[in-house]
Amino acid sequence: MVQFLQQLVNGLSIGSVYALMAVGYSLVYSIMNFSNFAHGAVIMLGAYFGFYSLTLLRLPFGVSFVLAAVGTGLVAVLLERLAYKPLRERRAPFLYFIITAMGASIFIENLVVATIGPTYKTYPAVFGQGPIQLGALSIGRIDLTMFVVSAISLTALMIFIDRTKMGKAIQASAYNMKASALMGINTDRVIIIVFALGGALAGVAGVLFGMKYLVYPQIGNITNKSFIAAVFGGLGSLPGALIGSVLLALIETFVSGYLSSQYRDLIGFVILIAMLVVRPTGIMGKSAEDKA
Amino acid sequence: MLNVRELHVSYGGIRALRGVSLEVNEGEIVTIIGANGAGKSTLLNTISGFLKPAKGELEFKGHKLGRQPAKIVQLGICHVPEGRLVFTNLTVRDNLLLGAYLRTDRKAIAADLEKVYALFPRLKERERQLAGTLSGGEQQMLAMGRALMTDGQLVLMDEPSLGLAPLLVKTVFEIIVEIRKLGKTILLVEQNAFKALEVADRAYVLEQGKVVKSGRACDIAQDPAVRAAYLGSKSVAGGM
Repeated sequence: MVQFLQQLVNGLSIGSVYALMAVGYSLVYSIMNFSNFAHGAVIMLGAYFGFYSLTLLRLPFGVSFVLAAVGTGLVAVLLERLAYKPLRERRAPFLYFIITAMGASIFIENLVVATIGPTYKTYPAVFGQGPIQLGALSIGRIDLTMFVVSAISLTALMIFIDRTKMGKAIQASAYNMKASALMGINTDRVIIIVFALGGALAGVAGVLFGMKYLVYPQIGNITNKSFIAAVFGGLGSLPGALIGSVLLALIETFVSGYLSSQYRDLIGFVILIAMLVVRPTGIMGKSAEDKA
Repeated sequence: MLNVRELHVSYGGIRALRGVSLEVNEGEIVTIIGANGAGKSTLLNTISGFLKPAKGELEFKGHKLGRQPAKIVQLGICHVPEGRLVFTNLTVRDNLLLGAYLRTDRKAIAADLEKVYALFPRLKERERQLAGTLSGGEQQMLAMGRALMTDGQLVLMDEPSLGLAPLLVKTVFEIIVEIRKLGKTILLVEQNAFKALEVADRAYVLEQGKVVKSGRACDIAQDPAVRAAYLGSKSVAGGM
């Protein structure tokens, strides 16, 4: 029973950060209908932004988070303006967007290798040592931080999407760009906001992963997991991204805990493929007609 | 109010409009009739800023119209698109409020919401439902209500009766007349020429991207060539 609860806690902690990354995929997909594979590179930059805010600028922990989020938000918007907007204006097929995203991802990764270098960096210890004991459960301070920070960020995102005028405009544009333009919504601005939001959350996720593991130019590959989670939950659906992320992380931690961590990714990908076969739209995804 | 001069538009490699000129005066219901592919929707989409004219001019109340749909809404042109395109993932109320996206006058928005609910009591009943749960006819009403919420003076309507049952078709045309009574001007594109000519003041007949006839709706309805091409027998046209 203790082991079960322990795995549950670990799964929720990892899952919440997967969710933070997965909503970035889903937000962009819901508006632009393509998977932004440069998202991982943005997360990697977030990890570096956080690292240098803490070490070079010696900023407090909270401020470093904000700085990383603002930085990656800007990077994501810049990416949209420079790489995707020209394609949108030419009405390029969606395949070109995906290829451009992959190219941008490789470019950013290698830019970091060339300038900062390929070495691993360790975040300074921000928290006190030793896990928090809760009865027989032990919760790592970083794991707790991951969960709390992700939960707060995601709640803020949900409130923004659900309660504000811009949030409604995003939902409307996700349904149909033409119809939202007919309401007087500046759809170009909606796209900028969506990239800024996804980018900012990517920055937060980057800092969390940097703290949990290490910082290195390929850390963005971890987004493969959140992409699986986003597809699993239904690309384009925010609740889907959340559910998919938590489910995937729970499956992973339980497989690692009860079987072996060697099977973890194997099972993760099997689930993705099975999901695509059985239900291509994911748990909460919109059907093709809805998207029309 | 709206002036279209010598408009040429290519769309998907086809010259969809080849020198269309027309005008709509304040308070009128003007209809554009024509077969599928005559360029009717292209014309409305160009007025709304979605398509770029190759040649020609568009002017609304003295303003030249550009290619930014949001700006055109702000000038006072609203558009009920073909296929309704209501936001199925949002509630009826949110759909209507999105129509007022550019407006900041809360009191006037609330008053207009009541006006729309008075015009479409059905929407009031279903205020909290997702728009995707509405029937086709209700979605058409929502699309019209949403356009009215923009407070535009000119309402462009693209095939509002398409795909509706005969009884609902009748209702839709009654509503169009009601909307004019609210002080709106209407440019109506319809395949159901018989019904459209019944409610309109003036009409243009569009064939292969050109205006081949124009005049008072009642005269166009009596024109033998138009009757043969678009009206057929009344029962068929009315039942479409």
